[in-house]
Amino acid sequence: MSKKKQANPSNYAQGKVHHQPTRKDEHTQIEHHSQKRIKAANEESHESRVEGLRLETMAVRVEGLAVNYGSFVAVENLSFNVKEGEIYGLLGPNGAGKTTTIKVLVGILEPRAGKVEVYGIPVSNEVPAKSQIGYVPEEVVLLDSLTPREFFEFVTSIRRLDRENVNNRLERFATAFELKQYFDTPIAALSMGNKQKVAIITALLHDPKLLILDEPLVGLDARSSKILKELITFHTKKGGAVIFSTHIMEVAEKLCTRVGIINKGKIVEEGTVEDLRKLVRSAEGSLEDIFLKVTEQEAGMQDVIKALEEE
Amino acid sequence: MRFSELWRLASTVYKEVSFQSIFSLRAGSSLPRSGGRDIKQLVANARINTLISKLITTVFIGIFAGIIFLPLTIGISGHTMPKQTAVLAGVSAFLAVVLFLIVFMGLQVSTSFVSSKITDVLSPLPLSKQEISRIVFLCFIRIFDIPLVAAPVIFLAVYAFIGGSILGGIVSLGGIITAEIFALSLTTVLARFFYLKVTSAGGRSKWQTLLRLVFMLVWILPTFAAYFVVNFATQIVQSFASLMQGFSSFSQILVLIFPFSYGFLASSLAFFDQINYTLLALSIAASVAYAILAYYCLGWVTQTVRKMGVSAMGTGPREIVKDTLIKPQSPWLGIIRKDLRVASRAPSYASLFLLPVIQTAVLAVSFSSFSELGLTTALGILTGMSMITLLIPPTLSSIEGLASAYMRHLPMKKTTLISAKTLLSIFTYMLSLIVLSIVALLMAKSFTLILTYGVIHGFSVAAAIMLELTILTRKFWKEGFAVGNLYSRLSTYILIVIPGYILAAIPILSAIVAFLFAPIFILPAFLATALTEFTLMTVVVMLQE
Repeated sequence: MSKKKQANPSNYAQGKVHHQPTRKDEHTQIEHHSQKRIKAANEESHESRVEGLRLETMAVRVEGLAVNYGSFVAVENLSFNVKEGEIYGLLGPNGAGKTTTIKVLVGILEPRAGKVEVYGIPVSNEVPAKSQIGYVPEEVVLLDSLTPREFFEFVTSIRRLDRENVNNRLERFATAFELKQYFDTPIAALSMGNKQKVAIITALLHDPKLLILDEPLVGLDARSSKILKELITFHTKKGGAVIFSTHIMEVAEKLCTRVGIINKGKIVEEGTVEDLRKLVRSAEGSLEDIFLKVTEQEAGMQDVIKALEEE
Repeated sequence: MRFSELWRLASTVYKEVSFQSIFSLRAGSSLPRSGGRDIKQLVANARINTLISKLITTVFIGIFAGIIFLPLTIGISGHTMPKQTAVLAGVSAFLAVVLFLIVFMGLQVSTSFVSSKITDVLSPLPLSKQEISRIVFLCFIRIFDIPLVAAPVIFLAVYAFIGGSILGGIVSLGGIITAEIFALSLTTVLARFFYLKVTSAGGRSKWQTLLRLVFMLVWILPTFAAYFVVNFATQIVQSFASLMQGFSSFSQILVLIFPFSYGFLASSLAFFDQINYTLLALSIAASVAYAILAYYCLGWVTQTVRKMGVSAMGTGPREIVKDTLIKPQSPWLGIIRKDLRVASRAPSYASLFLLPVIQTAVLAVSFSSFSELGLTTALGILTGMSMITLLIPPTLSSIEGLASAYMRHLPMKKTTLISAKTLLSIFTYMLSLIVLSIVALLMAKSFTLILTYGVIHGFSVAAAIMLELTILTRKFWKEGFAVGNLYSRLSTYILIVIPGYILAAIPILSAIVAFLFAPIFILPAFLATALTEFTLMTVVVMLQE
């Protein structure tokens, strides 16, 4: 990739190799430039122009999101943006609010408060917003009595997909994920990994602009994991956006352009891994170390480990 | 491990099975968004619902014993037959009722029992294989515990009331225990059959689809039989009585068949006035043979239930896949096709196929008793048909709950969903109407009235279906649809079905009013109300987005 191409934000997104520091530095600079431009625009009181600029580049915009389960507050005042061409890692300990946030984005949950947009479309405008999204849920529970073929037929019917195009894509994905042999086996009889493959293929079939993947690597074999990671990269190279939730810090570190760390229903830190390293002053630390520090899980952990070891 | 300890562990496992039978969590329903307290309430509700299901079965057994068996035997319902014959018919019919009602109830829960894979949780615990097997078996028995205990108690109470001998009582008790073991065996056979032939069977050829449908119909036969037993109990008892009254050579074959063998033996031993020794010998031999068979069945059930619990059921052979071609359709057709596919494989939704069959069968039976088909009869039949049809939309909607946590992210319009399910439901109604017209034609009876009013009433029924679906869809969209099946959450369905019934009844009421005040306006009034309802509900559905 040429330097000229890298200088352009969208081209950068298409061709980035996320763990190369020079490119990340460039990315940070680009972020700064972008922020300066917006600030300048604000100063000039051209609010409408700024709004247009943001909508043009933003795949996802979440502002002040709040979700309750009865009296339990799952997410409170949560905000983040995902740009086109970006892989946004949503990290957090168990019960932090990642899946809840994702469920609001895909239209499964209704928020108590906040503004959520997908490519400028409010998620309350259900059908157009949902049409932009390919979703792999955390717990893959599909219509178990159907076969993968029947399930694909149902979902593609709902999405009104063209028969020829969809069959071409399906053939490619089924071959890539080695699912062809299970096409006429009831989903109930498939292994967890194969069910996951069905969900992944379903999410990709309509060539969505935004992929929302909640723990997509769980249950996948090494080959399928590798293919999925490559597919995610290809997707962003084409200008698509990805929200990726995972507990595997190594994967997030290698794959994600930016990460947002959620704790107790709020984004506690956000940025590139480099940004976060600087922030927590542990430049040599892995994302796991950063994560534990940011989510305040590091304190006392050594004592716990020691106690377990002594036992 | 002591039995009490095993029973306690089986109770814990049983609570989980009950919970899953109500909320189908493993099947992918999302629980309504609630706090911890509400979840506890849901768990309690699940247990209460399962208890209610058992109690309903028990009440049915009680009603049968009280209303059919007792009046017949003490001769207060106008039936004139010898007491011995009455006991014979009563015992035989009672055993048949016990058999079918327990199977009917068992089929609703046994599927959750298999899908919950209870031993996956038990196996890692420090329990021996034998202990796990015992826990699984006790858990299976707990599904049926109240009706299993209540059936002999109710029967013996009634038997004592009519003053039968102790020996006859003991034989009857033996017959009931045998019937219960046969019921457990039949439930196990059918559950096993279902999982091997229907759920696990893939394949896309038309032949395989047809085969699956046939297997499904075979599977629902006991449910169908239970329905008939309960609805036509009086006729069954009378038929049994008339069959046995002759004591012909046919009777010699009949006493060899369960449950008549026990019926004859019990009646002979209850009242010693009139004994046919040939028949008595045959019935003793047959009853002993059935008791031995029941003993072996019990052993088989124990073994099979343990296997079911450890998910050792196996699956059918996998078909060689030649291509990955799919045929996307329009969204509404996609929904209809999906609903039919799910319904053809999920026990809880088998009623989709069952209802039209029952409806047609009941109507055909009732038809023969009418000398002429006047307007009142036609409207009465149409009311019955619409009431059964209006049970279908809740069943169809609950299919959306199967994987609601996933399905709700699809860009599906409410209008499309309602339209698709309305079409599928009204198809059943129209199919019944066609069958009814054919039966009328075959019986050389005029079917013009039924067909005319039926087609018009179809608009009202469609409006009622749309109303039910609108309520259900709003509920589904708002809070998710965490329901198991029609039988386990009756309260949810009743509140939705009632508005539908009211809407479908309005044209019939308007026709009755017109009949009373201006008979010339019966048809116009009927047509006007039905069309108005249809138009109104169509507009409501179109405004759903």
